[in-house]
Amino acid sequence: MAEVLAEGYNVFDTAKSPSGTIKYLSSPADVIGLIKSGKLKDHILLVRGGTTTFLAPALSMGAIGVITMSGAPESHLGILSREFQTPCVMTAYLTSSDSRYEVGKTGDSHFEEIAKALDGRRVRLDCTDHEVGRVVADD
Amino acid sequence: MTTTEGKRATYKQRYEQGDDGLRFQELTYTGNFVGMEPVTDGIKGDRMMRERAKSGVLEKVSKEDVLRDQFTIDELNDLNNYLAWNIWDVLVMRATEGVSGMIPRQEYEILAFMHEFYRWPEILRMATDEVGGGQGVLDIGATARREIGTKVNAVHDWCIGAVGFGMGRCGLLALEVIGPDDYVEESNEILKFMQRILWGKRQDGYILNSQDNYRCRIHEADFLEQITAQLEPLEADSPKHGAFTQFNAAAELLSFLDHYDCRLGLGDTGPYELPNGQLLILRDLFVNEEVFHWSDVCDDEGLPHCYTLALTIDPEKMALAEIRVNDISTTFTRPKNYIEAITGGAVFVREKWNTPMGEVYPVAIDDLGPHLERVQNATLKLYAKTARMNRRDLIWNGQYVYYVDMILPHLRLAGAYEKACTDYQLWEVDQRVANYYYDITKRGFAQETVPQKIFSGAGYLPFSDNADRRRSKYRWL
Repeated sequence: MAEVLAEGYNVFDTAKSPSGTIKYLSSPADVIGLIKSGKLKDHILLVRGGTTTFLAPALSMGAIGVITMSGAPESHLGILSREFQTPCVMTAYLTSSDSRYEVGKTGDSHFEEIAKALDGRRVRLDCTDHEVGRVVADD
Repeated sequence: MTTTEGKRATYKQRYEQGDDGLRFQELTYTGNFVGMEPVTDGIKGDRMMRERAKSGVLEKVSKEDVLRDQFTIDELNDLNNYLAWNIWDVLVMRATEGVSGMIPRQEYEILAFMHEFYRWPEILRMATDEVGGGQGVLDIGATARREIGTKVNAVHDWCIGAVGFGMGRCGLLALEVIGPDDYVEESNEILKFMQRILWGKRQDGYILNSQDNYRCRIHEADFLEQITAQLEPLEADSPKHGAFTQFNAAAELLSFLDHYDCRLGLGDTGPYELPNGQLLILRDLFVNEEVFHWSDVCDDEGLPHCYTLALTIDPEKMALAEIRVNDISTTFTRPKNYIEAITGGAVFVREKWNTPMGEVYPVAIDDLGPHLERVQNATLKLYAKTARMNRRDLIWNGQYVYYVDMILPHLRLAGAYEKACTDYQLWEVDQRVANYYYDITKRGFAQETVPQKIFSGAGYLPFSDNADRRRSKYRWL
């Protein structure tokens, strides 16, 4: 059975199970750079927030899968992921860590730990469950 | 769509007397009801809140009630409590989204909340006077019954009271620059305007979608027939289905971006049950708002003010258990994925905010390609433009999106927008709010204190029994 690296809210249930190398995007320049590289569809995108604007061009140009470290299906990025039918796992946490996101109480170390553990890993998103989305190792 | 095989739609049970609805979240709400049973989200939560009201203002009210000059203190407190719960109901999970990485939204939001509470009352009073009094405001609300591509919609109308009064007062109370019994007269002014717009639009006695099991069925039947006549059938997984849903998503994304990552860019109405059992949602996507200077990139692409999408959903195909069109104009369903259950669609264009309905035109789904390309180009250009802006510009731009756009449609239809700009200096920033800019980042005020007060409901302090309805704020001690 494949290793579940992280879990979070499943934005919408879908049989789509995209796979790719996780790319952590920390700034708008990272997003623009990825679009210009022409390799958008090679990657599952990892971002810190659950807002829409940060990932706007990536969603528009056909991102295949998204993982966020905060937010919920009701967040703007959740709504847009549903509309684009882009599988999305939100407020993901590492299954190997006890650290969990809490609004207004979570320090940078939580986000850095997730980014460090996932960035560059080849994974597949499992979004078949109504509530829980899973990030599964695909190395 | 493998997860719903063998199941039947049960959503109609949500409209049966006494049904509690589904729970869309595990959290519960307390607000000003400390020591009482926590309030849930959804249909049950609405019922609990109405049962706790002291007045009848949360039940169906008459035109005479709405035209009355002021609310009583009990009515103000009932509205304050209900709006606070409603805000929690629609936003508590959204509010977990954290930092944007692009636009400092918490910062611009709190500045706009407070600015609105200070500045809107006299502007809304002026707009009411311009249309000859309360009936004129009802008439503005009623225009939405025969229009698409109008910002006189659930989210804008809700924002007048929920944001301008509710969150604005909450923020100023948290900042300790006002007390619970200050600005009573101004609170009444804002809430009366909201009630009149919403009542005039709905015309069923309610003002909010949550009071009607999350339905916003405002359009006249003969008007809807003109819309549904343009629907094209869409087969799941067909290129046409893909073209329609892709355009829906791309235009919705641009509407978010043009409105600085807030919900003012989109407006759903419905669900309307059609004779064939399908559910119709009408979705306005405002991709080019002419009062925003950054929207010039949308002009450059030749984008209209609004695309309106009509879409039908097969409730049986997705075994629909509940559908909510909430008070910020957004549709949520259980199961969550309604896209694969879309069975028909149509797209309409309204070039300008005041383009007559007779000049609104449909675009065939097979012809959406060039429109999609323009939407995507504008998205890329607006993103690049926004990414170059400094933090202060982003915050004040966002502040204007809230503070101006939330009442813009009502001012426009009242013929009062120009007067608000010239005589009331709408686009100037009040000196008090300009100074708050430096306070809101201290001690986590914007990112922790205010969200906690707003989303827990703890910050919506009631007016006291001794509050005077004539009272403004006279002392700064």
